[in-house]
Amino acid sequence: MTFRMKLLVGTGAVLSFAGGVALATGPVSPPARGTPAPEVKKHELPVSKDGNLVVGLCDGETSMEVKGVKAGESLTRAQAQHVSGALMEEWLRKNPNAHWDAVPLVAQAPAPGSTTPRTQQPRTPPPSSKGTVREGGVTPESGGAQVKQQLAVPIQDGHTYGAFSDRDEAIWAASTEQFVDEGHRVFHDAKAIGGTVGISCDMCHPDASNTHPETYPKYQVQLGRVALLRDMINWCIENPVRGRPLADGDPRMRAMEAYIYAKRKGVKLEYGKK
Amino acid sequence: MRPPCGVALSLAVLLFARSGQAQPMDRDVPSSPADLPPGVSAVLWKLSVPPQLAPTPERVLLGEKLFNDQRLSVDNTVSCATCHDPRLGFADAKPVSEGVKGQKVTRNSPTLLNALFNASQFWDGRASTLEDQAKLPILNPREMGMPDEAAVVAKVKAIPEYVRDFQKVFNREVNFDDLAVAIAAFERTLYSGNARFDHFITGDAKAFSAAERRGWALFNGKARCNTCHAGNVVSPLFSDQKFHNIGIAAHKTDFPQLAREGLRVVRTGDEKQIDELALETRFSELGRFLVTKQENDVGAFKTPTLRNIAITGPYMHDGSLVTLWDVMDHYNKGGVPNPYLDGGMQRLGLTEAEIDDVVAFLFTLTDEQFAKFATKEQARQRGLKNKRPERDTAVAMGKKGNLGDLAPNPDLAVKNPADIGVYGTEAQVKPASTPKP
Repeated sequence: MTFRMKLLVGTGAVLSFAGGVALATGPVSPPARGTPAPEVKKHELPVSKDGNLVVGLCDGETSMEVKGVKAGESLTRAQAQHVSGALMEEWLRKNPNAHWDAVPLVAQAPAPGSTTPRTQQPRTPPPSSKGTVREGGVTPESGGAQVKQQLAVPIQDGHTYGAFSDRDEAIWAASTEQFVDEGHRVFHDAKAIGGTVGISCDMCHPDASNTHPETYPKYQVQLGRVALLRDMINWCIENPVRGRPLADGDPRMRAMEAYIYAKRKGVKLEYGKK
Repeated sequence: MRPPCGVALSLAVLLFARSGQAQPMDRDVPSSPADLPPGVSAVLWKLSVPPQLAPTPERVLLGEKLFNDQRLSVDNTVSCATCHDPRLGFADAKPVSEGVKGQKVTRNSPTLLNALFNASQFWDGRASTLEDQAKLPILNPREMGMPDEAAVVAKVKAIPEYVRDFQKVFNREVNFDDLAVAIAAFERTLYSGNARFDHFITGDAKAFSAAERRGWALFNGKARCNTCHAGNVVSPLFSDQKFHNIGIAAHKTDFPQLAREGLRVVRTGDEKQIDELALETRFSELGRFLVTKQENDVGAFKTPTLRNIAITGPYMHDGSLVTLWDVMDHYNKGGVPNPYLDGGMQRLGLTEAEIDDVVAFLFTLTDEQFAKFATKEQARQRGLKNKRPERDTAVAMGKKGNLGDLAPNPDLAVKNPADIGVYGTEAQVKPASTPKP
């Protein structure tokens, strides 16, 4: 069974499960007895006595009260970065054995005594790294016409669509980078994803680190079910970021997926990995 | 509204600020003009303009003068602007162009708007640069009719004004290469990308009517236009710059026989011979084949840009289709069958209402500077809407002939094909709303 097939089966399972939930929780059908369909978990945040803003961490347990910022107010970017940093530190303290890649910093030596190996894989490969295919596209010298002559087929030999030039490839590469850049913008902009507390994706995932798009679909503990990357993006938008989830086809969601995948170029697909 | 990222990133030094410079640009990478409209790609500009040929103000000025000068023709009657009239969208609104002594050529005058972005020039791509292109019509006996390069140079040299200008701009006396460089420099200023479509795609959802929005969906879906007329923010031409046989000449040409004859004639041909064959003889219909001698290029012509298509009719390489409705009829029946018909051609099964929607969309690709012209043209074409020589509803709808299956007819309430992939700055666009039935 190819990976692609597995992926499809996995997706189908998620979809049919979601359909089942929708049925079970519909207003007409009576509540199922015995095995109630599990609700998607939600992180209930404690309420601050002083009416301060409370920010939740993605573990669904940890939260932090921000002194001096009232609930309903938004953090500045610096404040938000500080809060998300403190929460992440707290999580790392609680989970010393968690697999969490060190945040990639430019030209920084490993902390003294650090035993965590740096990830082996290139995290930010150059965008236009070339494969092994000969450059320059199909040319008349590729011999397409001769092949058809041998076959005695006096019609189109596909050259029209196969003859791609350096110019075409440059346009493709620039078009793709444009989409990825748009994802980069959304990923780094709390307002763009509709966040209400000023926290943006990059604050916990600098340079899209630790997003691990290659591991989806997988069972996602925060959701209590098998999720696709976009489901987890939406969970983050709803919980730490405190925005409204985006539709699957929302251009911002698609751009973010493009950015996150682009950042993992060359990494082996490994669905279901935890 | 934000400008598209691609444009914003490359806002750099304004070329025209470097005035008073007679020598070619000495820097390696030219910067694109800072005021590019939203529908013009700075990336494509850089890709298309060779550094040493980036337009300088002096060259542009001289080029424009030459472009409009009828003295470049043998009898002082025809200039470049005769067939590329700025008032007619840099085309001539005729089926095929007319040169000196009222002689007709065999091809339709393509617009110069955005021609600087073409991967190759002419309908058959026989010139790879604007410079090469600019030379050939001057020498073609049916266009501007000058006998040879030396005659052109001698004629221009006899005009004192040009002797001075060439000295000033190129620092040497008049020669044919520099003449072409100047004209090409002028053509590199003829970019166009301020259309209603650009306002729509960069976030102004109200820029489109319901019909135009449906047309944009059909363009990307059932009508399959985007297969060859692909566009995005990096390459906003709506052209793949490839060559396709869509069967335009097939009803009057025996392609295999013509190709065999053509091979015999062309094998020894140089660039000038091909130019004359292309514009004077029945071999013109062989299209790209004249250039490549590859059998699969028989009857194939370059996919033109759809920018300003509404004002640059009549359509196709021979100007044989009068309105955009005729063009849609041609594609709707899957073109005209012939042994070299492009594999992508198939019947579309578009209804009359759907054809109207696609045509409405095509009109949104007109630059605002031609808005008045477009309104006039829309009225004129609509007046001809009931005269439809290319229409073959039975074939289009699959009741006759066998031209394959239809592309899926998507339910816009479920998925709008215009939303597939990404045009470019799509994140600024609200998803197209579809009225619920």
